[in-house]
Amino acid sequence: MRKLMLQPDPFQAIADPGRREILFLLSKEKLSMNALAENFEISRPAVSKHVKILYEAGLIMITEVGRERYCELNPDGFREIRAWMAYYEEFWQAKMANFGKVLNKRAKQ
Amino acid sequence: MQRDLSFKWYFPHSPAAVWECLTEQEAIAEWLMKNDFKPVVGHKFNFHTKPIPKMDFDGIIYCEVLEVEALKRLVYSWKGGPAPGVITLDTVLTWTLVPKENGTEVRLEHSGFKGFKNYLSSLFMGAGWNGRIRKRLETLLNEKTNATT
Repeated sequence: MRKLMLQPDPFQAIADPGRREILFLLSKEKLSMNALAENFEISRPAVSKHVKILYEAGLIMITEVGRERYCELNPDGFREIRAWMAYYEEFWQAKMANFGKVLNKRAKQ
Repeated sequence: MQRDLSFKWYFPHSPAAVWECLTEQEAIAEWLMKNDFKPVVGHKFNFHTKPIPKMDFDGIIYCEVLEVEALKRLVYSWKGGPAPGVITLDTVLTWTLVPKENGTEVRLEHSGFKGFKNYLSSLFMGAGWNGRIRKRLETLLNEKTNATT
């Protein structure tokens, strides 16, 4: 049983220094798996394991060109942030409805 | 990819009444959350609410008052995360009151929702990256650039 599937959290994905190195390299340019692996002393399967975690966290995209797989940052990849924005959109509408009620109540006092 | 949320509401009350509701601890607790707010620049305060595990949020919002212009403008930071000291949401609230006929318009900018690239750059600038690692990466990158040119 591989644990990789259980780690979709971007922050956990980023917590590992090796994966941060991968992100750092990818923040400069799109790289093939081979080119990426050349930057590390760990084995290629170990690098691709990290890549998989980053992919599952929505932080990078993987495209296949011929036999080669290319990795790049997912520019829109911060699911958490989008989730927070959607959350606060509703949050403030609801809170400001309360705000109006509190204002009315205070005006009557 | 930094993004902001902005809102506008109208209330049939004077700017003074709206300001009071926005800046008095008890009033804020009633419409927003339990808090220890004071309208004083530099004052650090928290909001307490229920944790939202799904959002990796422990229920505490950490804030600092950044600007106070009575009856007009109030700015404070709005930060939170999965555990004390771990900030994953780093945003700012800007409240602006605009007097209108028979009432007040309240504008709210909730800004600083950072996209992934912004987040990464702040991560690389931040404490998570000590000089040694960065230096090594720079070396690696230079070697790489030299190798390909």
